[in-house]
Amino acid sequence: MIKLEGLNKHYLTGNNPALIDINLQVEPGEFVCIVGQSGAGKTTLVKLLIAEERPTRGKVQIGDWDITNIASNVVPYLRRQIGVIFQDFKLLPKKTVFENVAFALEVAGESGSRIRSVVPQVLGIVGLDNKKYRYPGQLSGGEQQRVVIARSLVHRPKLIIADEPTGNLDSINTAEIIEIFKKINEFGTTVLLVTHNREVVNALRRRVVTLADGRIINDEHQGKYII
Amino acid sequence: MALGILRIIKFSLQDIARNIGLSFMTVLILILTLLSVNALWSLDILTRQAVLLTKKQVSLSLYLVPDVTDKQVKELEAYLKNIKPVLAVNLVSRSDVLKSFQDRHRLTPEIIEALSELGTNPFGPTIIVQAAEPTDYKMIMDSLNVPEYARVIESKSFAEHEDALERLQNITNRVERVGYSLTVLFAIISFLIIFNTIRVAIYTHRVEISIKRLVGANNWFIRGPYIVESFIFTIISVAATMGLVYLALQWLDPYLSVIFPDNFSLTNYYSSHKLSLFGAQSLAVLILTLVSSSLAMRKELKV
Repeated sequence: MIKLEGLNKHYLTGNNPALIDINLQVEPGEFVCIVGQSGAGKTTLVKLLIAEERPTRGKVQIGDWDITNIASNVVPYLRRQIGVIFQDFKLLPKKTVFENVAFALEVAGESGSRIRSVVPQVLGIVGLDNKKYRYPGQLSGGEQQRVVIARSLVHRPKLIIADEPTGNLDSINTAEIIEIFKKINEFGTTVLLVTHNREVVNALRRRVVTLADGRIINDEHQGKYII
Repeated sequence: MALGILRIIKFSLQDIARNIGLSFMTVLILILTLLSVNALWSLDILTRQAVLLTKKQVSLSLYLVPDVTDKQVKELEAYLKNIKPVLAVNLVSRSDVLKSFQDRHRLTPEIIEALSELGTNPFGPTIIVQAAEPTDYKMIMDSLNVPEYARVIESKSFAEHEDALERLQNITNRVERVGYSLTVLFAIISFLIIFNTIRVAIYTHRVEISIKRLVGANNWFIRGPYIVESFIFTIISVAATMGLVYLALQWLDPYLSVIFPDNFSLTNYYSSHKLSLFGAQSLAVLILTLVSSSLAMRKELKV
């Protein structure tokens, strides 16, 4: 599903490289935790996977698609095939819950009838079908994150990338969100969970890739948070 | 394609309605800017009209000797009409000159009595020459310095008014220069105001733009609603400005009719030029808003 070969990233403004010689392969249907302290390179890795940044050296492949030097006008098509979830939710504040989820389908040119049938289904999965006309500002942090998950699921992606999705949530909401990810993964979707939440990683007992100073220092198939 | 366009229109209308405060302020600033432009425009029209009126009132009078023959008058008239900057040549006959003199002095019986004692009409005919520009009179005067015509011309009014005409020309030139400078200055100020208004509007949407990119919206899907908004803002602001300008002109016209005697009306001027005046303003606002939003969004849309 994901193949990274000799991946390096240097930012023009930084002294140290953000990522150094990253080699990583993630199989379809895997649930992988990327862990590491702040500045380890986790977010840079996410940015390279969604083509928000380009690598300085090396190769990035999603499925059979080499996105190393992906053209700007093709990036939207890549993003329609990956579900991305961030710590700060990134919801459109002037759109309702329904409209936020529907927007991901509208930009892909899906028909109105399909949107009207799919969006309520996905909102039902994350338990928000009764709040579809609310605006993000009227929801709790946990609910907002569930809207983001619904939005990332709505076009049935094969890969979900979640960058610190529980960073702004309390322990109850964190447990609920992780349960949703586990369900998504059980249906066959590959999940890449970037986090520095020790409890979450240790409770999951899935593959753990540890980053430190831009390098992979550990990769265990039923790993724990080791730093 | 059609579905995409419909969605872009829907998003832009939603955006205007849900950001009503920002939309209102954007339109208000556009209206205020357009009103300033129209005020300056009207001032420029009035200045040009005033200058034209003053220039029209300037003429050169050639007072001919009393014994000039009709043939000589006709020759002189034909000669004057052939001089390029001459716009009109009017002949006032001997009897009309006498009548005009009598009218002018009807309250001074001594003059009227002295005139009747002469027994004959002592005046020659007068030729009134109108030129395109006050500066042209000097040239017309020089053309008359030929013995054939100098003999029949008793005196010319221009010599007395030469200094005044020169001053008038200087004033009108200066007024025109100030008018052009003000227009350029206002155009620059308007450009900066509109440019910054749109930039601020886009800046407040920058988070939304990044989110739209994140969920796979292509650049046209992101840009589209702002382009439609530019159209809507332009239509509303130009229409509102037109309404306000017409209201102001109707209030102003009675005052102008006192200053400009020849039925000049700003309302009529705007009505007869409304396509070019408001068309140019619509085009300028639209281009400005489109360019400003494109420039402001360029950074946000860069991948």
